[in-house]
Amino acid sequence: MRIFLTLLAILAPSMAFAANNVTLSSLVFVEKAVPDGAGRKHIVLEEPKSVMPGDRLVFILNYRNAGRLPASDFVVTNPLPAAVVYQGGAESAQVSIDGGRNWGTLPALRVLEPDGRWRSARAEDVTHLRWVLKQAIPAGAFGKLSFRGVVR
Amino acid sequence: MFTAYRWSIMHVQFLRMLPFAIATATIGYSSSASAAGTTAGTTISNTATASYTDPGGNTQTANSNQVDITVDELLDVSVATADPGPVPVSPGAINQVLSFTITNTGNGAEAFDLTATSAIGGDQFDPTTTSIVIDTNNNGAYDAGVDTVYTNGSNALTLTPDQSQRVFVLSTIPGGSADLDRGFLDLTAAARTGSGSAGTIFAGQGQGGGDAVVGSTGADGTDRGIYVVQSAAMTFIKSATVLDPFGGTKSVPGSIVTYTLVATVSGTGSLANLTIGDTVPANTTYQAGSLTFQGNGMTDAADADAGAFAGNAVSVQLGTVAGGQTRTVTFKVRID
Repeated sequence: MRIFLTLLAILAPSMAFAANNVTLSSLVFVEKAVPDGAGRKHIVLEEPKSVMPGDRLVFILNYRNAGRLPASDFVVTNPLPAAVVYQGGAESAQVSIDGGRNWGTLPALRVLEPDGRWRSARAEDVTHLRWVLKQAIPAGAFGKLSFRGVVR
Repeated sequence: MFTAYRWSIMHVQFLRMLPFAIATATIGYSSSASAAGTTAGTTISNTATASYTDPGGNTQTANSNQVDITVDELLDVSVATADPGPVPVSPGAINQVLSFTITNTGNGAEAFDLTATSAIGGDQFDPTTTSIVIDTNNNGAYDAGVDTVYTNGSNALTLTPDQSQRVFVLSTIPGGSADLDRGFLDLTAAARTGSGSAGTIFAGQGQGGGDAVVGSTGADGTDRGIYVVQSAAMTFIKSATVLDPFGGTKSVPGSIVTYTLVATVSGTGSLANLTIGDTVPANTTYQAGSLTFQGNGMTDAADADAGAFAGNAVSVQLGTVAGGQTRTVTFKVRID
């Protein structure tokens, strides 16, 4: 115990500001249609080990400020896996269609077509999602971000 | 107390956000995966990164855990006849070729077993399948001795996602078939991993270690090829007219006899390499240069034209004559 306390005392000054206080966890669920026996199907979310092309995925990001001090300028970035097409569900997020260099909303981002014309970006063009929280996360607070995708 | 209050604020934000997200996401479902989709065995890895500023003004980052998901193998196949219509055949003919195209519409490399069935109702004869042949050189045509003969159970046809392969079925046509008789033949390709109703899972048997799942095609496909008999028969009529030296029609020495040979082909098929030949009768002499074919004069020499006189016989090469057509040959002799 004494040794532990001494260690803590040594580490404390550097940890006070440098500690990774915010934790982020990623969960991916797949929508499964389960018959309810009455001819209808319920959509349930399962954590899959494997998926099929066309499967609908729900991505959940849980963040928590596990430290004792607030965290400001909180930004979460999720690169979209190449095999997944963005399907919306994150209207509060900014999106990027160029690997995270430029950010905006889909209508604001432009894509150059092979024929030389520009068009508005579509969901299938999205490569990255980003959430920028305006308010600082108080110590102990947590939240959840989510978006949808479909397996190509 | 302060903390608890803040927590609830965050919770409320989340609860407001999620139903909104689900409601709008349904709009986006119109776009679907490409033909074959992501290749089976691909790992979908998701990681997120957070950055924030701590109270000391330093930028901090936090990485999430990585979620890895394997893409399962979707078992799908399509079979389509590659013949523009029923394939014309002759009764008793062997190695008659039907063409099919087999396409792996799944997302993994898969072996397919091929089966030809000819015991099908609604036709007039059952062709006997002698072999199924893979178009190894991919030229779209059956090349005997070049293309690989498929042997059921030993050399299954393996196709990568979206890959198509031309396959030929060779059959013997029954000898007794009549003109316009039809014979059906169904070619089936089935995924070797397994087939059945859509959604059937073969655990762990997918390419890349995931499951193999039967797709909407049932992981098998069948299409029909049709043989149609086009047979032909020839009737042959020989007639003669006589012109005697006195302008009459008596057969006397010096009379000129004109022989007319009419070949008529009937049926829907055609006869190839038809030749009409006739020996000049005894006690008569062939009249040089008198041979005609379809009203056109033929030289007596065996040369570029179809007719010839040699060995005291006339002959005319008719070539291939289709059903319903007639060929007429005439020649003259003088009674000795």
